[in-house]
Amino acid sequence: MDSPYAIEMLHITKRFPGIIANDNITLQLKKGEIHALLGENGAGKSTLMSVLFGLYQAEEGIIKKDGVEVQIKDPNDANRLGIGMVHQHFKLVECFSVLDNIILGVEPTKNGFLQKKEAREKVMALSDKYGLSVNPDAIIEDITVGMQQRTEILKMLYRDNEILIFDEPTSVLTPQEIDELMQIMKNLAAEGKSILFISHKLAEIMAVADRCSVLRKGKYIGTVETRNTTMEQLSAMMVGRNVNFHVEKQPCHPGEVILDVKNMSVASKVHKKDAVKDVSFQVRAGEIVCIAGIDGNGQTELVYGLSGLEPLKSGSITLKGQDITKASIRKRSTSGMSHIPEDRHKHGLVLDYPLEYNMILQRYFEPEFTDKMGFLKRKPIREYAERLIAEYDVRSGQGPVTPARSMSGGNQQKAIIAREIDKNPDLLLAVQPTRGLDVGAIESVHKQLVAQRDAGKAVLLVSLELDEVMDVPDRILVMYEGEIVGELDPKKTTQEELGLYMAGAKRDEVKA
Amino acid sequence: MKKILKNDAVQSLIASLLCIILGLLIGYIVLLFINPAGAWDAILAVLKNFLKTANHARRVKLLGATLVRTAPLLMCGLSVLFAYKVGLFNIGVAGQYVAGVCASLYAALAWHWGWLPCVLFAIVAAAALGAIVGVLKAYCNVNEVISGIMLNWISLYSTNMILSKYKEEASHYTLYLSKASPKSILPGAGLDKLLGYDKVTIAIPLAVVIAIVVYIVLNRTKFGYELRATGNNKNAAKYAGMAEKRNIILTLVIAGGLAGLGGAMLYLTDIERWSVTQTSVPGMGFNGIAATFLGGLNPIGTIFSSFFIQHITDGGPNVDTTYYCAQISDLISSIIIYLCGFVLFLKTAINRGLARSDERQAAKEKEAAQAAQAPKPEDVPATEKGGEK
Amino acid sequence: MLLLLQYTLIFASILLLVALGGCFSEHSGVINLGLEGIMVIGALGGALMMRALPATTPAIVIVLLTLLAAIVFGVAYSALLAVASINFKADQTIVGTALNLLGTAGATVLVKAINTAANPNDHSATIQYIEQKKAFIHYFGSFEFNWFMVISLVILALAWMVLYRTKFGLRLMACGEHPQAAASVGISVFKMRWSGVLISGMLGGLGGICYILAGVSQWQFEYGVAGFGFLSLAVMIFGQWKPTRIALAALLFGFFRALSNVYNGIDILAALNIPSTVYNMLPYIVSLIVLALTSKKSRAPKAEGIPYDKGMR
Repeated sequence: MDSPYAIEMLHITKRFPGIIANDNITLQLKKGEIHALLGENGAGKSTLMSVLFGLYQAEEGIIKKDGVEVQIKDPNDANRLGIGMVHQHFKLVECFSVLDNIILGVEPTKNGFLQKKEAREKVMALSDKYGLSVNPDAIIEDITVGMQQRTEILKMLYRDNEILIFDEPTSVLTPQEIDELMQIMKNLAAEGKSILFISHKLAEIMAVADRCSVLRKGKYIGTVETRNTTMEQLSAMMVGRNVNFHVEKQPCHPGEVILDVKNMSVASKVHKKDAVKDVSFQVRAGEIVCIAGIDGNGQTELVYGLSGLEPLKSGSITLKGQDITKASIRKRSTSGMSHIPEDRHKHGLVLDYPLEYNMILQRYFEPEFTDKMGFLKRKPIREYAERLIAEYDVRSGQGPVTPARSMSGGNQQKAIIAREIDKNPDLLLAVQPTRGLDVGAIESVHKQLVAQRDAGKAVLLVSLELDEVMDVPDRILVMYEGEIVGELDPKKTTQEELGLYMAGAKRDEVKA
Repeated sequence: MKKILKNDAVQSLIASLLCIILGLLIGYIVLLFINPAGAWDAILAVLKNFLKTANHARRVKLLGATLVRTAPLLMCGLSVLFAYKVGLFNIGVAGQYVAGVCASLYAALAWHWGWLPCVLFAIVAAAALGAIVGVLKAYCNVNEVISGIMLNWISLYSTNMILSKYKEEASHYTLYLSKASPKSILPGAGLDKLLGYDKVTIAIPLAVVIAIVVYIVLNRTKFGYELRATGNNKNAAKYAGMAEKRNIILTLVIAGGLAGLGGAMLYLTDIERWSVTQTSVPGMGFNGIAATFLGGLNPIGTIFSSFFIQHITDGGPNVDTTYYCAQISDLISSIIIYLCGFVLFLKTAINRGLARSDERQAAKEKEAAQAAQAPKPEDVPATEKGGEK
Repeated sequence: MLLLLQYTLIFASILLLVALGGCFSEHSGVINLGLEGIMVIGALGGALMMRALPATTPAIVIVLLTLLAAIVFGVAYSALLAVASINFKADQTIVGTALNLLGTAGATVLVKAINTAANPNDHSATIQYIEQKKAFIHYFGSFEFNWFMVISLVILALAWMVLYRTKFGLRLMACGEHPQAAASVGISVFKMRWSGVLISGMLGGLGGICYILAGVSQWQFEYGVAGFGFLSLAVMIFGQWKPTRIALAALLFGFFRALSNVYNGIDILAALNIPSTVYNMLPYIVSLIVLALTSKKSRAPKAEGIPYDKGMR
């Protein structure tokens, strides 16, 4: 067949109960091109790729390979058609070696026994050819995220896949690693592989993709050639209007020191090394300080240490002059610390509780909600929840009694933010508060953070998004491998400089 | 109709009834295999229990006997339920029940205590056993199911050893309380006369009251709020500053106490005596698991389900032993527990069906509204598709 | 002393077989708390076969057919766990517990029915196999050698090879660690988990028949297998889900279990004058202590106990 397209997805519609994730979407991937798929969180990119990869079946529409209609019922079919995918969350078995992960599913065997020798040779050959250096015998949980990603790419190449899907591959990488990946993708395309690159980062798309298709809220918006377009155009296609990415705020007026961290170390759950090493910094009233860095450089553990979810190995934490190093989580909370957690499903909500019970999660024990006999005061709880719902515009099906599980991610996040801010804290720990939200919700979260700052609160923001890091805070602290390697002024620094710090290529001695 | 179906309690009720019907049906099929002739009669005998006899006075007395055994079963059920709400599977209930038996009988036979101290001692002993499971879980990460099972056996053998001093010379049963320590027997408070059976005691109303108390504690108090939060999402509970370890231990202490109270409720009536040569853990605790799940994990539901389980257990010996044996009621209750594993699936299926029918209805309404308004052409495809299923 | 060795070996064989069964099931991602019930049903299958075979049958035929019956019964019974926990995503703890209760109740009902049918006055749940048992036993002097001691060793070697040297083993473990990863490379998680559970049924069944052949020559089915299924789970945890370590753990637990059978014959222990119940409790107490010391850094398969849902990623 002489079709110019390696793969075509025509008029794909995929529904989930209550939502149309893909509504009549068409995507055509030319042979040898790098084709970007752009859209916000929840635009339907992942669903579309899952359909292509055989994880979901579309209700309507067809898929063509080289111009011939094909059925993809499971990942095996996709594999047979030469489609491979690097998933956003790596599909690697953590206690297996790199080699075992690569051969899993297509193991070479003799009489049922594994023949790892030839597999190893093929992997090493591929690794040389494309510059994907890995140690085949290393165990996944011991290696860096970058090497894990290279393992995923080798998995596809080992299977001789011709169509390679990269689902948000850059979110876990340092800027330098991202450059490397871009080069690898270009090499692969030059070798005749066709690449689908899923992203919501415009700069990367402009840098590497030949064409770009845009999705918005489950619908197909259009396809453009990247050399004939601008970032502004792409952005408008993605969100449906021109967005002001910049956060409006007045200059800050830092007051007294609210949070004072000295020489804090936190042990790692996975590695022998400490996840947080000898970190010291301060956050003052009326300022937003941002902890920036690539995912997995100790930010999570830093927050766990501050909030009390994990004990410190050494060092001290002072909140408003009060030593809380050894204080319980409850004590920290009642002493004026609020915490918007990184993972709202893991920590932030009790999903099977109604919204009203989630609204009092940090305060249920206060006399306002519990009487002296230990009974919950149901009426005040209901009224409190109704007030927060109204004030913070939390939308839900049945108001206070809506099960938290049935709410949308954005409204769940709003509920958490309402709860944490309404506690009237002196220090607000906001960990990736905009993760998984759409542009409208992101704007509103940013406004609230700035409002807290202007009300004289200390805000410690932890973020992985470069735009957020550059726009929202008054000071940036960069974390690299558990240490704070630089303090930057967002007004004076550039994304490039920030990237060098995040990659550990540059560091200052930072003393609090 | 749909609104009723959406109610969680109604769904639980439907699921439980389905489990019972299917359990009986499978039990019936097993009986058919063993001997087709008497299968129907046997199932009826199991189901009828005390209703089998025509004599009114005897019927009431047999009902009393079933009730006497329902009280401890309910306590075991509540014990499992309480722990389950915190996300713990208290299979150690059987051993905690035995510990309650052991402590109450020992206090009665060795020290001739009154009934109230005997009961309290039983609660304390069983709570201590629960505490071991709790501490192991909270501080050593030991799976509560495995440690519970190990303690069941340890508890059984210890009880045999401890009570062997107070057994009858001629048999391997412990002494009758009525002879050895009459004041240790639970008071009847008139109920014994009402049902015409002297083993009926305050244990029965007490068990029901405790079920209601458990319901209130779980659903209306700060403590219950914490426990259920821990059971639903222990990470969120920790994040909210709840003391996870303390709650795990406290929960198992309470669960143990409930089971221990159950042990005292049965053995302080003198209806049964402990055999010091038993080599298997009594089924009461395990039946408690059946009662909990059949009761839809609701304390009030558990009252009814424990009565039902005890009812068919007591009906077992009524079968014609030339064909069958009394254990067919154990068989049926274990089938029911097995089927309870499917309840979640069933509820999801009901809810999915309801959601689908809602969608269909919403689509119809939308279409009707659109037809009335004659919409702009370009709007049609998207909205129409939204409704189809 | 020889007697202690003999009992240690035979009890260790049982624990090893069943723990390896649990190991396969858990590596595939399903917690098998029903091993106790599976043992009972496997024992039932084997005992019924021995009852049916005339004593004159050649020894090798008796052994093979008995093993086969135990395996078939164990596998069929474990399918109840598989269908509930894999296809219907049922709570594995509830289902496992139900299988334990069902095993004892079902076996009792069945054996009693068979006995009563053969002799209307016989209401016992006992099966005798005095003659047939001899096929499994060989005497070296006073040492009672049981073929199961060899069988369990062979199975240990097989289990190790299957898990670490074959494609099947690699895929099985992937399903227990990260089923989504396995599914993304085209492995059928359902199939692998079914295999894992059925293998545990097979080994559990073998362990069951081995249990009732150890020491006695008739079995009363009301008694179940006295927590051996759970002891095996403790052995598995202590063995950190690794076959060779499981074997060592089985020897340790087997030793403590054997003590209760033979302490009378050992002068030092007999002189201590400890009641026999203490020895009966010993394996359970030891396992509690061992679990308390080893559970903290457990290397349990990461996805065990979590039903696999295709839609979840």
